[in-house]
Amino acid sequence: MKKLARKIVIIGFVIFLLMQLYQPARNKDNGQVLSSHITKMHPLPDSVNVIFESSCYDCHSNNTKYPWYSYIQPARFIMERHIRNGKKDLNFSEFGNYSRRQQESKLKSISKQVKSGDMPLASYIFLHKNAKLTSRQKEAVIRWVDTTLKNYE
Amino acid sequence: MKSIFFAALVMAFVFTACNSNTDKSKDTKTEKETTPTEQMYACSMHPEVTGKKGDKCSKCGMELSVPVDNTGTPIPPAGNNSDTTKPISTVTPSSFSIKGIISNYLKLKNALTKDDSKTAATAGEAIVANLATLDANSLPAAQKKAFTDVAGDAKEHSEHIGANSGKLDHQREHFAMLSKDVNDLIKTFGAGQKLYLDFCPMYDDGKGANWISETKEIKNPYYGSKMLTCGSVKKEL
Repeated sequence: MKKLARKIVIIGFVIFLLMQLYQPARNKDNGQVLSSHITKMHPLPDSVNVIFESSCYDCHSNNTKYPWYSYIQPARFIMERHIRNGKKDLNFSEFGNYSRRQQESKLKSISKQVKSGDMPLASYIFLHKNAKLTSRQKEAVIRWVDTTLKNYE
Repeated sequence: MKSIFFAALVMAFVFTACNSNTDKSKDTKTEKETTPTEQMYACSMHPEVTGKKGDKCSKCGMELSVPVDNTGTPIPPAGNNSDTTKPISTVTPSSFSIKGIISNYLKLKNALTKDDSKTAATAGEAIVANLATLDANSLPAAQKKAFTDVAGDAKEHSEHIGANSGKLDHQREHFAMLSKDVNDLIKTFGAGQKLYLDFCPMYDDGKGANWISETKEIKNPYYGSKMLTCGSVKKEL
């Protein structure tokens, strides 16, 4: 019994080590902000900009601020998946590449997701305490969306 | 004992990590209609009630008299549809039809009026499949532009509706935006059937939202059973 347990531990540890070899390319723009970035399209008040930086861009832009544990698998797997899914639905770095109609839809969705509290994800807030939005911050985002949407009428 | 526990923990990690990409590539095309062996009929007052010829409506007892296809879409009577339906512009190739989209949109709408999230999701997936089969390249430039503009947006909303079975509120958010898309499609390509543009003044904190219906009777997809008859007909399409 004890032998078996030891075997499992060793095998598990070897797998864990091997996993570390997999380090896919990182989601980093190295300071190159595209002209399609949301900040280049719509004026962003500081209050909203801070929120986007702290609570959105990690998964919804081409530039993620990686935490220390992102160097360790399997944390990295999970993180990359979140980033991929996040960017698929909304990528602030390439906001200008969406059609006008899609931009409008996405802005509306931002407002609704923030309002309902579905975004930022609870699991993300658990690891990034300052990503949690206060009710005042939520209002700021919703108000910003409302004013920005006027450009689309 | 402790080490077994630890080993299990490590293994669990490995599995969750390796499992990460089980994309549910459900075949959305299983929706493909099978040709009905028998003509179906719907109640003229309750279009959702369908059955064989001669059956009585389960809601009002009237005989089912409106011929429908198996998607529940009324079949326009042959011959005299010239006055109600807009003639589809002659430049649009006959192979290009948004009928499938409209029919599945109406299915989605009807599911939402019944708070039926699962059926709504299936209809959402069906719209994604509909969109994929349409080839805009056969269209004249102006129509092509109108279509691709709408289609990209509509696809995303339909995907979200399909992927969020169980989250009615989220499905309705996307349904509101999808309704706008479908309305614009109808403006460009014609509905091919009588439809109504309805308006719910309450939705989205009083900003209001439209939906499209095949019946004049109001059945609100945004609130379902909570306030089913709330809303008004804005215009006929």
